[in-house]
Amino acid sequence: MLKTKNLTKTVSSQDQDLTILSDINLTIAEGDSVAVIGASGSGKSTLLSLLAGLDLPSKGEVELAANQFHQMNEDERAAVRAQYVGFVFQSFHLLPGLTALENVMLPIELKGDKQPRQKALDILTKVGLSERVSHYPNQLSGGEQQRVAIARAFASEPKILFADEPTGNLDSVNGEKIIELLFELNGQFGTTLVLVTHDQKLANRCQRQIGLDAGKLVSDSSNTAIETSKTPPKQVASHDALVEQVG
Amino acid sequence: MRQMALKTFSRDWRAGEVKVLFFALMIAVAAMTAIGVITERIQGSMGEQASEFLGADYVVSSPRAIPQEWQEQASENNLVSSLQQGFSTVLSKGDKFQLVSVRALQGNYPLKGELEIADKPFAVGIKTQEKPEAGTLWAEPRVLNLLSAQVGDRVEFGAVELTIAGVIVSGPGQASEVFNVAPGVVINAADVAAAEVIQPGSRVNYNLLIAGELAERESYIQWLKPQLNATQRITGGKEGTPALQASMQRAESFLRLASLVSVVLAGVAIAVAAGRYSRRHFDYAAIYRCLGMQIKQVHQLYLWQLALIGLIGVVLGVILGLLIQQFIIWQFADYLPKPMVPISPVPVAVAALSGLVVLLGFALPSFFQIAKVPPLRVLRKELIPSAVSGWIIYLLAIGAMALLMWWQSDSWMLVAILLLVSLVAFIIIRIFAWLIFKVGIWLGKRSPTSVRFGLGQLKRYPAFTISQITAFGLAFMIILSTFLIRTELLAEWKNQLPDDAPNHFLINVQNYEVESLDKILNDNQVETSGIYPMVRGRVTELNDKPAADYLSKEEYQRARALRRELNLTWMEQLPNANKLVAGDWWQRNGDETGAIKLSISTEIQEMMKLKLGDKIGFDIGGLTVEGVVANVREIQWDSFQPNFFVIFEPKGLKDFPASYITSFHLKAGQKPVLNNILQQMPTVTIIELDKIMAQVQKILDQVTLAVEFIMLFVLLAGIAVLYAVLQANRDERVLSATLLKTLGAQSPFIRASLVAELALLGSFAGLLAVMTSEILVSTVYINVLELGAKLHPLYWLIVPIAAALFIAAVGWFGVHNLLKQPASQVLRQA
Repeated sequence: MLKTKNLTKTVSSQDQDLTILSDINLTIAEGDSVAVIGASGSGKSTLLSLLAGLDLPSKGEVELAANQFHQMNEDERAAVRAQYVGFVFQSFHLLPGLTALENVMLPIELKGDKQPRQKALDILTKVGLSERVSHYPNQLSGGEQQRVAIARAFASEPKILFADEPTGNLDSVNGEKIIELLFELNGQFGTTLVLVTHDQKLANRCQRQIGLDAGKLVSDSSNTAIETSKTPPKQVASHDALVEQVG
Repeated sequence: MRQMALKTFSRDWRAGEVKVLFFALMIAVAAMTAIGVITERIQGSMGEQASEFLGADYVVSSPRAIPQEWQEQASENNLVSSLQQGFSTVLSKGDKFQLVSVRALQGNYPLKGELEIADKPFAVGIKTQEKPEAGTLWAEPRVLNLLSAQVGDRVEFGAVELTIAGVIVSGPGQASEVFNVAPGVVINAADVAAAEVIQPGSRVNYNLLIAGELAERESYIQWLKPQLNATQRITGGKEGTPALQASMQRAESFLRLASLVSVVLAGVAIAVAAGRYSRRHFDYAAIYRCLGMQIKQVHQLYLWQLALIGLIGVVLGVILGLLIQQFIIWQFADYLPKPMVPISPVPVAVAALSGLVVLLGFALPSFFQIAKVPPLRVLRKELIPSAVSGWIIYLLAIGAMALLMWWQSDSWMLVAILLLVSLVAFIIIRIFAWLIFKVGIWLGKRSPTSVRFGLGQLKRYPAFTISQITAFGLAFMIILSTFLIRTELLAEWKNQLPDDAPNHFLINVQNYEVESLDKILNDNQVETSGIYPMVRGRVTELNDKPAADYLSKEEYQRARALRRELNLTWMEQLPNANKLVAGDWWQRNGDETGAIKLSISTEIQEMMKLKLGDKIGFDIGGLTVEGVVANVREIQWDSFQPNFFVIFEPKGLKDFPASYITSFHLKAGQKPVLNNILQQMPTVTIIELDKIMAQVQKILDQVTLAVEFIMLFVLLAGIAVLYAVLQANRDERVLSATLLKTLGAQSPFIRASLVAELALLGSFAGLLAVMTSEILVSTVYINVLELGAKLHPLYWLIVPIAAALFIAAVGWFGVHNLLKQPASQVLRQA
């Protein structure tokens, strides 16, 4: 699903080049859940932005669903994102002028799907916000906003979901709920999950943990406990099927 | 994408995202529409007033009979026209003879305004727009006096006798010509032929009077102009009447300037609002891009948005503007000139197009920047898209604006001045804003914490601060300049016709009558402006050559002053309402020998192609006198003072028999003094200017009101712009104040820091506005209004203080409610 080769990112500051990531080689299989962990400034977020095609590497290759990001321009990468990628951010990044429903409809509309409204309503019901679809982000609590963000991320049925500190802005109770929701939907949709986190509890829920330190890959371990307890991803053909299952 | 744009638009609208930009555009278009339409309507209506002064919209005059085709063409253009002949002849009754200036009417007169005819001198009469019946005449009061005649008497007019049917109390007139004409009579053209007063070689002036709708008469004048020869001319329309020419032109220039500054104000408001809009949309665009929207799609999305904002904003703005101007015209109908000309599509179209051009020109660069936002911004908030180089767009927009402004104002001069000065002002403001901003920071270090924090806000976002100072500075500059120019114009008009301006002139006072005249005036407490001597003479030679040889044939034909007697005078000092433009005035007790020095008016200088040191020969009562041009004067013809084309050094004329001229102000009840004078000195000629001056005063009053209106409008538009700018930056202020609150700052602290920031912004902007206004105002005074440049030192103190108070008050008003919101809510929105 996702493959990197000698992935390196340097930025030039005033008088010297600063290496943020160097020679990262990774392969992430379809359906995997991977946690990227490391201290602040270790390069986690940079790795995420390169994997998602939000930024280009200085050197090396990134391949997502057989698309060579490092050879593509902004718009081509955007098209790949529209097709395959979903995001959940630490600061939610909901559009403040749009209601919860409209925020969730947006990626469905961008993908060109029919009936964006129904699909968005379904998934908002799924995250437990059916009563709050017409609320604006500033009328929702942090936990609720992140649930909208998760609904938005899954709305376009992405093959791969990137999450940047999804619980970073939440208290522990809400953080727990969000983690549950994220993995529940991940299981149902069979999505590949790449998340960046400080939160060891969250990292422990992933099948695999990748450790970064000063831009270098320092550990890569599989979580066997998860491996064994992991339910095989259910193949969800469509939202209708999902609703049937849930309802 | 169109559907998505429509959806986004309605969502953004609901969320208040597009409102600031939308309202900035709408207010700008409304202000441009209202100012443009009112200006044009008032301007057109002022033309109507001037027409009453002239007796028609246009008068075409010719030394030969007017071709019949001209009148036919006028009726084809749906214009009313009327022919008349003007000539001088002698009326007599018994043993009295008097040279009169005759107006022989073939059609009705006047076409605009009215003629007031009474049955005895200085009485109230009946108003008419017709001609006297054949066999009768109407005469000015002094004709009756000079001939010792009364209404109903018969007088000899060439070979026929006419009955005096009425006395002309008032009517259209041209004040500047008053001194050069014999007393006037009006007759029916049917009596001219039988009277045999016009012989081959007689000097007759043929006039064609034209009146009608604006568009039709303009197209007629366009048709006529190419057919005129050097001896024929058109008076009226934009040229106006001489007595009002300067005032009208200045008023028009002011109104045009006002309608143009509203466009500049609109530009400032829209640029600021568009900047805010795009700043707020960086996050949106980053998320769109992150979710997979392509750059082209983001572009399309925002271009559609812009188109929707433009379309709706312009339409609503035009409607609002028209409603406002209609309300004003309805509300102030009593004070405005009547009838108002209808609304013309030009100012409306200009306002609408200007709105769109300004929106595109000033918003496009910001909008292009939105699409360039890197999707990575979702992770790294500090990433701001590189500014789009908007130079080409700005240049195109400014070019388009210049064209539109020219279309509206018809004056490249004004457009160029306004654009250039705005550009210079923009640059100066930018440079000084940066300098002052440094000073402010330095000042801040010596202030209480709250103030320091407020000033620190300015320092933290220098680009933001400078752009705000620029916007405020430009808006204040425009308001202030308009105000200064308006004040100067009003003072000028007041000055032109002070309440006690002389409104009666006496000419032909003989040497032996001066004493008794003085006594009558003294007994009645009438003050004169002095009694001047006057000698009549004709110019015969220029630089020792006969004038006809010195000038080319065409020049000679045009030089009317060569073909009649001029009123010559001598004076020791330069008279009021005259300005030296070349040479020096003579010493009081100058050299008694040597050549006689002359002072000539600029008109004579141009007409006779003279320069300092040239010689002019005069024929005065059969004697030849020669003088040398010592200086040239510019005469203010609308001053209602006795004015002379040629003034001699005292030694030059004092040996010639002179008559005297004087002027004085008579109050309404003092008219009988005139009868008193005429009884004692029947040969004295009285010229009554009170009616004409009242007419001029009425026009000036209306022009003044128009100028005040437009000033008020510019002020309102300016305040709207300032408010829009403050609104556009409100979010940042609320956010930083809320942050302070969460850190434990109390309301007084927050208030003090906010007010300090705003007041400092305001005072900087005010100071810059005064500096740049001085440049703009001086340029306009010198190049457009033909007034002297002037500095306004007091304003250097007042304006920065007023601006600081204003910005602090309005800014505070804009945010104080928001500060009451719970901090958590504000922070969550951020």
